[in-house]
Amino acid sequence: MNVELLVYVLLGIIAALSLGLLWRLTLDSYLKWSEANRRANELLRSVLTCEQYRHLKRHGYLDIPSPRDPGCIYRVPQAQGLVGVIEQGRRKASLCLQPLEWVPDADIVVMHKLMIEADEETYLQMANKLTPI
Amino acid sequence: MGMLRVISKRGDDRVNWNEQDALTGDPEAIAAIREAERIFEHERARGATAFRVEAGKPVERLEQFDPQAAQIILVPRVVGG
Repeated sequence: MNVELLVYVLLGIIAALSLGLLWRLTLDSYLKWSEANRRANELLRSVLTCEQYRHLKRHGYLDIPSPRDPGCIYRVPQAQGLVGVIEQGRRKASLCLQPLEWVPDADIVVMHKLMIEADEETYLQMANKLTPI
Repeated sequence: MGMLRVISKRGDDRVNWNEQDALTGDPEAIAAIREAERIFEHERARGATAFRVEAGKPVERLEQFDPQAAQIILVPRVVGG
């Protein structure tokens, strides 16, 4: 039997198996990511009012009034990013606070909302504050 | 009915319990509460923050597991970026 042909056949089989495995791993990761996002979105919907949810989807951010300062609003982006501190309609600062482990974007919105509403002082202490020069 | 939701890379993991059944001595209900409490303590030890979230009430930070809570959400440890 032609040894060269046998080597090519074996290499072809190994390549096909590797591609199949890679495809399977990619598909599994995508399905897990998709399910995580679906569950996170479900949680987000349950903690927001219909109006807040509509606003978030339409404008790409959620405004959360400061519990201790009526003139201050926290603008939380729908996708991961800096939270704006809005006072009298102007962005006075940006806050950066993120979980140590990856979680879906919708869960990050939930995280900011709960922390601001339940314990604003600790939220501000933990967040890295960036002020415009 | 109570529900513990732990935010994670999977979205959120949920544990349900029925406090009324536990009060009547139902072993499954008691086990469910113990399991929720165990997860609560484990996640808190890892740096998670717990919140009681109930419809029509202000969000409240929780330091200890409360089986009477309708919903508890655990947020994983956060850091300033």
